[in-house]
Amino acid sequence: MRLIPSPSALARWVRATLALGGLALLTGCDLNFWTMKGHQSTIDVDGPVAKAQLHVFYVTCWVTLVIFLIVGSVLAYAILKFRARTDADEHAEPPEQGHGNPFIELGLIGASVLALVIIAIPTIEAIGYTYDVPAEDKATAYEINATAYQWWFKFEYPAEQIAGAGPLVAANEMVIPAGRAVHINLRAMDVIHSFWVPKLAGKVDMIPNRGNFLWLKAEAPGYYWGQCAEYCGDSHAVMRFRVIALGPRDFNEWVNRQTGPAREVAKVAVADQPKAQFASYRSDWKRNEKGWSPEFELNPFQAWQAQQEPDAKHENPALIAQGRALFQSKTCFSCHVIRGHMVGGSGAYPDLTHVGARSTIAAGLLENTPEQLARWISHPDQVKPGNKMYLTGYIPNNIKLTPDDVAALVAYLRSLK
Amino acid sequence: MDATVKSHFIGKEDKAPAKPSFVLWRPSAKTGLMSWLTTVDHKKIGFLYGSFALFFFLVGGVEALLIRLQLMHPNNTLLTAQQYNTLFTMHGTTMIFLAVMPLGAAFFNFIMPLQIGARDVAFPRLNAFSLWTFVAGAIILNIGWFLPDGAPDAGWFGYAPLTSKLYNPTHATDFWILGLQLLGVASIAAALNFIVTIINLRAPGMTMMRLPVFTWMTLITSFLIILSFPAITIALVEVMFDRQFGTNFFEVSNGGMPILWQHLFWIFGHPEVYILILPAMGIVSEILPTFSRKPLFGYPIVVFSGASIGFLGFTVWSHHMFTTGMGTVATKAFALATMAIAVPTGVKIFNWIGTLWGGHLKMRTPMMFALGFIWMFMIGGFSGVMHSAAPADAQQQDSYFVVAHFHYVLIGGSIFALLGGIHYWFPLMFGRRVSEFWGKLSFWVIFTGFNITFFPMHFLGLNGMPRRTFTYDGNMGWSTANFIATIGALILGVGIAIYFSVVIYTYFKGEKAGEDTWDGRTLEWSIPSPVPEYNFAVIPTVHARDAFWYEKHHQDEIAKEKAEHHQAEASHGGIHMPFQSIYPLVASIGILIAAIGITAFDSNSAPGIHWKLGLALTGGTIMFLGIYLWALEGAEGYHLHLDDDGHDASSQPKH
Repeated sequence: MRLIPSPSALARWVRATLALGGLALLTGCDLNFWTMKGHQSTIDVDGPVAKAQLHVFYVTCWVTLVIFLIVGSVLAYAILKFRARTDADEHAEPPEQGHGNPFIELGLIGASVLALVIIAIPTIEAIGYTYDVPAEDKATAYEINATAYQWWFKFEYPAEQIAGAGPLVAANEMVIPAGRAVHINLRAMDVIHSFWVPKLAGKVDMIPNRGNFLWLKAEAPGYYWGQCAEYCGDSHAVMRFRVIALGPRDFNEWVNRQTGPAREVAKVAVADQPKAQFASYRSDWKRNEKGWSPEFELNPFQAWQAQQEPDAKHENPALIAQGRALFQSKTCFSCHVIRGHMVGGSGAYPDLTHVGARSTIAAGLLENTPEQLARWISHPDQVKPGNKMYLTGYIPNNIKLTPDDVAALVAYLRSLK
Repeated sequence: MDATVKSHFIGKEDKAPAKPSFVLWRPSAKTGLMSWLTTVDHKKIGFLYGSFALFFFLVGGVEALLIRLQLMHPNNTLLTAQQYNTLFTMHGTTMIFLAVMPLGAAFFNFIMPLQIGARDVAFPRLNAFSLWTFVAGAIILNIGWFLPDGAPDAGWFGYAPLTSKLYNPTHATDFWILGLQLLGVASIAAALNFIVTIINLRAPGMTMMRLPVFTWMTLITSFLIILSFPAITIALVEVMFDRQFGTNFFEVSNGGMPILWQHLFWIFGHPEVYILILPAMGIVSEILPTFSRKPLFGYPIVVFSGASIGFLGFTVWSHHMFTTGMGTVATKAFALATMAIAVPTGVKIFNWIGTLWGGHLKMRTPMMFALGFIWMFMIGGFSGVMHSAAPADAQQQDSYFVVAHFHYVLIGGSIFALLGGIHYWFPLMFGRRVSEFWGKLSFWVIFTGFNITFFPMHFLGLNGMPRRTFTYDGNMGWSTANFIATIGALILGVGIAIYFSVVIYTYFKGEKAGEDTWDGRTLEWSIPSPVPEYNFAVIPTVHARDAFWYEKHHQDEIAKEKAEHHQAEASHGGIHMPFQSIYPLVASIGILIAAIGITAFDSNSAPGIHWKLGLALTGGTIMFLGIYLWALEGAEGYHLHLDDDGHDASSQPKH
C-alpha cells in the first residue's frame, strides 16, 4: 500500500469506515433517539389531534421515501455507470451532446405533481380537523385560558368560578378532564411564546394582542410534558409545563380541592409538637443542575397523584406557621397570590394557593421536592436566568433569606396542597 | 517608446483629461493596499467579497462549535443562557448575511462578467461601494462583541416584541438593526448593478437563452434581492423607530401587532433563502456539464425552473408562520403554494441527473461537491416537503427538525456548491490547481462530519426537542443524539480546517494550472489565467449556448472573427477601462460612521446626545461628500491599446 493512498482508494476506505460506523451506531450505544419515545415525542402520541398530525407526517414520509429510492437509485446508477474509470476513459472523445428530452421532462413534472397531490389531500383535511374542536365534541368541550409570561404559564378555568375571586387560577401544570375535548385560549402578556405539549397536539403560538387557540383531547388519564416553543428571552429553554389528564371523578375532586382556599394546618399544643426539624438543604447548587429524579420517572402519573396528599408525617405546624409569617414579611405575598391566607398578590405572577399539589415547580423545570423548593427559593438566579424572583426589571431584588428562613418557607409551601 | 516603464497590461493616456481640482485625484496604484482600496475591477472586488466571506464563515463556524459544545451534555454549564442566546443569534446572522450571501456575491462579481463576455460590470464604482458598505455592515453587526452592550441576542429573525426596548434595552439589537440595513443597501446596489450588466453588457450573439445557467441564476437572484429587501428594510425601520422614537408599530399596549413583524420579515425571509440557494444551483449547473463532458440536460427548463422558484418564492412566506394561528384558509393556501415550489426544484434535480446520464464523468473535486450537493439537497428538500404539510409542521416548527432541514439545504446545498465553485474556478482566478488528493480528502471529511452532525437532528426534532434552547434535561431521550451531533460538528470543523489550509496553501504554492484546465464550456475559460485586467483582448461573438465549447470546435471560423474584431476595436480607440476611485470607499466610511451614531441614539438621549448626533451628522456629511465627488469626477476612464500579440501599445493613442 502506498504511503499516501490514491484518491479512489482513500474514498473506498472512508466509505467502508462510514458503513461500519453506521452499523455500530445502529447496533450499539443507547438507541433511544432512533426510537423517539421520549417525554415530548411527536411519534409516540396520544389523542386525536396529535394522531391526525402524525398521520399527515407519515404520508409525507412514505411519499418522499419512494421518491428518494427511485431518484436515488437512478442517480447512484448514473454515477457508477458513467464515471471515467481508466485513463482511456479520461481522454476519450466527448460523448453524444444531448440537450434534453421534453417527454421525460413532462412525465417527471407530472409525476411530481401527482406525488404532491397525494400529500396535499390529507394535509387539507387535517388542517380543518386540527384547527378547532369538531362539531360532535363541541357540546362537551372544556374551556381553559392559557396565558404565557416570561417564563411561566398561567392556566385559568372559566368554568370553575370562585365566589369573590374570579375563575380558578393555576400555574404551570394544566389539569384537564380525560376523554373530553379541551379548547385552550392562548394569550401572552409580554413577548411571543408557544404552547407545545407534543404528545397531545402540535403547537400554536401565544402572541400578545392576538386571539389564538388550540384544541386537544387526552383519551385516557395520563401525565404529559410540554415546553415553550418560541424563543422568548433568557430563560426560554427552561420555560416548561405539564398537562395531567384525569378521569371525570378525579377531575371533579381536583377542581373541588383547587377552588377551595389555601390549606390550613391545624395548630397543636406545644407539648405535642414534634421537635422542630430544621432540615438542612444543600446550598452548593451550581448553575443549571438537573431538577429531575429517576424515582419520579418510574411512574410520573403516580408521583403526581401522591403529590396531592399532605405529607402528614413530616409536617411541622410550628415551622409552617413560621413560613407563613415569612411569606408576608419577606414580601412574597406582594406578587404571589395565596387565596385565603394572603391579601394581595397579582395575576401576573404564579398563583401559589395550591402549589404543594404540583409535581413540578419553576415552570415544569424542577421536581416539587423540599430540596428543589429550597434551591428555587434560595438561588433563583441559578435556576432561571433573568427571572423576577431575584430581579425587578434589571435591578436585583434585595430579598435576603437565611437557611432557616428557607426551611420554614419550604415547609409552608409544601403544606399548600 | 516612452521612457517610463509600463507593464504589458496597463496603459495610460498620453494626455490625461483636465481635472477640475486636486481633490479629484485619480488613484493609479496597481499593487499594494491603495490598489485594493480604490479598485473598481470586478475580479478584485469579487476576491475581496470572497475573502471577507470566508473569514466570517470561520467566525460563524466557531460560534456553531460553541453552541454544539454547550449542547453536548444535558445541563451543561459551558455557556450561560445569555451567551448561548447571543451565539445562536450571531451564528445565524453571520452565516446567512456575512458568509453565504457574500460568497455568492464573490462569484457573481468574478465570474458573471466573464461568462457574458463583458469587461466589467455596468457600474464599477457602485460595485466597489457595495463591497465597502457590506464591510461596514459586517463591522456594525459584530461591534457588540467588543462593547459592554454585547452582540445581538434576539435571534437572527428578531421577532417583536422581544426586540423592543422593554425586553431588549441594550444597544445590541440596534447593532443588529443597523448592520442589516447597511447590508441591505450593499445587496440592493450590487443586485441592480448585476441586472443592468446582464441585460446591457452581453457580448454580441449572447442571447438570453444562450446565457450560462450561473449567469441566469445571478439575474434571478438579483431580482429577488431588489424585490425582497425593501420588506425587511421597512420592518427594520419600524422596529428602530419603536425602539428609539417611541412609535407603536409593534407596541401591544398601544394597539401594535407583533404579527406584522413576522409578515414583513418573512416576505423578505423566504425569498432570502432562495437568494442563498439559487447561486449554488447555478454553480452546480456549470460544474456538472463540464465534468460530464456534455451539455446541461434541458437547459430551457432549468432556466425556467429557476425563474419559477424565484417567482413562487414570494407566495409562500407564511409557511414560516403555520403556528401563528392564521386560520384554515391562509394555512391551506400557503401549504399548497409551498408544495408547488417543490416541483421546479425537483425538475432541476432530474435535469442534473439527465446531464450525468450518458456522460463521461470525471470525478474531480468540484464534481464531488456538485454530486454531494444533489444528494444532500434532496434530503433537505424532502424535509422541506414534510414541513409544507402544515399539520405535520405544527409539531416540527421550532424544533430541531427544522434545524436539520435548513442545514441540509444550506450546508449540504449552498456551502457544498460554493466550496466546489472555489475549487472549480481556482485555476481561472489564480492560475493554480488544488491537489486532487487533498481536495477530495477535505470533501469527504466535510461530508462525513456534516451528516453525523445534522442527520440525528431529524430524530431530535421528532422526539420533541425545541430550538434555541441553551440546555435540556437528561431524561428526555435527547442526550445521545446531541452528543453524536457534537462529535459530528467537531469532525466538520476538522474538514473545514483541512479545506481552508489546502486552499490557502494552493494559493501560494499550488501546482500551476494551464489555461482551460477542465476543458470548459463557457466563455470564462477562453481567457488566460490569471485573468488580465481587461478580461477579453477581443470581445467574442457568441454563436451558441456553451459559447466556448462552440469556439473550440470551430476554431478557424473563430480565429477569423477575432482578427476582424480586434481591428474594429483598435480603430475605435482601444479597450475602454474604468478609472479607479477612492469615493465609493469614502461614501461607505461615511455610512459606517453615521450608522454608529444612529445605533447609539434613542429618545432618552439627553446625556451624550451631542456626540451621537454629531457622529450621525458627520457620517452623513462624509457620505454625501463621497457621493458628490464620485459624481463630479466623471466616468470617462482610459483606453488600453493591445497590439497583435495582446501587448499594450498605448504609446500611440488613436482616437
